[in-house]
Amino acid sequence: MSTGSVPLPDTSVNGSTGSKAKHRALSDTLYSVFLITPAMILILIFALVPLAYAINVSFRFADLTSPRGVAEWVGLENYHFALNDAFFWSSVQRTLHFAIFAVVIEMILGVAIAFLLNDIKWFKGLARSLIILPLAASPFAVGLIWRYMYHPDFGVFNYLISRVGIPEQNWLGNSQIAMGSVIAFDVWQWTPFVALIALAGLQALPKEPFEAAALDGASRWRVFRTLTFPMLAPVLTLVLVLRTVDAVRLYDAIVSLTAGGPGTSTEVLTFYLYRLGMRFFRLDQASAMALLFLYATVVFTGLLMRRFMQNMAARTRAKQ
Amino acid sequence: METPRITVGMVLRHLLMLFILLIFLFPIFWMVLTSFKPAEEVLTRPPTFIFQPTLDNYRYAFEDADFSLFIRNTIVIAGLSTLLVVVFGSLASYSFARYNPGDGHIMFFILTTRMMPGIAVVMPFFLIFRDLGKTPFGQALGLGLDQVGSLVVAYTVFNLPFAIWLMFSFFQDIPTELEHSARLDGYSRLQVFLRVVLPLAAPGIAVTAIFSLMFAWNEFLFGYILTRDAARTITVGVSGFQTQQGILWGPLAAAAVVCILPMLAVAMFLQRYMVRGLTFGAVRG
Repeated sequence: MSTGSVPLPDTSVNGSTGSKAKHRALSDTLYSVFLITPAMILILIFALVPLAYAINVSFRFADLTSPRGVAEWVGLENYHFALNDAFFWSSVQRTLHFAIFAVVIEMILGVAIAFLLNDIKWFKGLARSLIILPLAASPFAVGLIWRYMYHPDFGVFNYLISRVGIPEQNWLGNSQIAMGSVIAFDVWQWTPFVALIALAGLQALPKEPFEAAALDGASRWRVFRTLTFPMLAPVLTLVLVLRTVDAVRLYDAIVSLTAGGPGTSTEVLTFYLYRLGMRFFRLDQASAMALLFLYATVVFTGLLMRRFMQNMAARTRAKQ
Repeated sequence: METPRITVGMVLRHLLMLFILLIFLFPIFWMVLTSFKPAEEVLTRPPTFIFQPTLDNYRYAFEDADFSLFIRNTIVIAGLSTLLVVVFGSLASYSFARYNPGDGHIMFFILTTRMMPGIAVVMPFFLIFRDLGKTPFGQALGLGLDQVGSLVVAYTVFNLPFAIWLMFSFFQDIPTELEHSARLDGYSRLQVFLRVVLPLAAPGIAVTAIFSLMFAWNEFLFGYILTRDAARTITVGVSGFQTQQGILWGPLAAAAVVCILPMLAVAMFLQRYMVRGLTFGAVRG
């Protein structure tokens, strides 16, 4: 909703003679810069210096096990290596596999739970307070607890499924299902996030169109398809972006659940970068890959968030 | 208006909700249960649900693994970085909401600083703090390896982008007329911010504080790489139960309870304020 076309009342404090307005605009600019300075100094130093370091290293030979350390300029060689590295591509593939499955399941389950939470009457508040709990748990610490529950011999999951007649599984030790087990953990932790936001979106919907639809005798499915879903779509898009950007950076849960194994079956990109950079000390190649990943994420988010950001900027301009 | 009746569908929906809650809470229940198990009950087949509870695991965590130090460190680090995030973040966010410096581009740049995978920048951070720790400035502020100051700075930097985005919509909702009339009453710009704007943005500041605290409390990678003993945090401390004989699941569960429970309590009681924060204000929860 842009109010940009509506003529705005003059909001300057001291009336609007030309020189005063100009003076005010200048001091507004100075003041706005003054306010963002402390935060920007911290962000610029601690975001740009590491970034500059990574960019620099990505164009050099840097093997920390060799006495030369960060050494000579090699141009695009590390990028060339990255783009031709089968391990890099398979880790990207696993990252996407993880992210797509986890996020899709979380979105579907989360929206379903949101409808359920919106429908129930008796313990609504309590249910909302309890469903949020997985979200607040440290992914690393609670990941270790899940590893204990996934234990093939003594784990509670195998006990529970054997009680209902399903054969026991080696959840994290079988390369066929290890990724599925990691996805299940992520779904457990993040479905509540989708559910709570979708619920807030549902509760913010205007009442009138639904009352009109009810009077017209529209079916539930039709109401959902033509009213609820389109009105919920902006919120769901935002959740989708937030979850995707987060899911492709999955790291803590991999460390505590599988450490990339068995073999490399759960080695997502961040964990491959860890192996390359911190175990093989090839900072040059790891940095090149991380930067490729960063560009991809920024472009993806930039495209999806553009509308959202334009709306925000329009709102600010309208208020000024 | 229809009179509320108890229908079969309604009962089924509530039962389904109960079942879903059971699934989502089970891992937390199992963690708490395991933390009270005596050593011989931790790895049994089948797992036991009923046993003689003991505090041995907690004793082990606090005596052998020095969890009280980890807790003190975490409170200092999470508390200080949250304070810095709220102060610097609210100033910047207010500026963006009111004056829009950079016309949205600086805002997006700030967001992109959070998109680099942590693993890729942890090495530069390590080197920065290693070198800073050798300077008098770094020593005075505790900005070295295995010192709490480094993690305070790191977590402040990580949380600032999120905080600025989060508080933005709260500041935008404050009517500018209030600020103009305060200016006419003779308040300076800074007084307007402190006495008029900040109190009105209190819910947004609370949400920001909750998220900064949770992030700093739960962070693993940087805590792991930048500390060794003296500045170790609680989340990293939970990883310390892997021995030659395997993982000590009982003490680990006790440590995980101590690590996770405070944030669960925060989330449970402040849940209604969190939703808006989770979406940068796009949804008013």
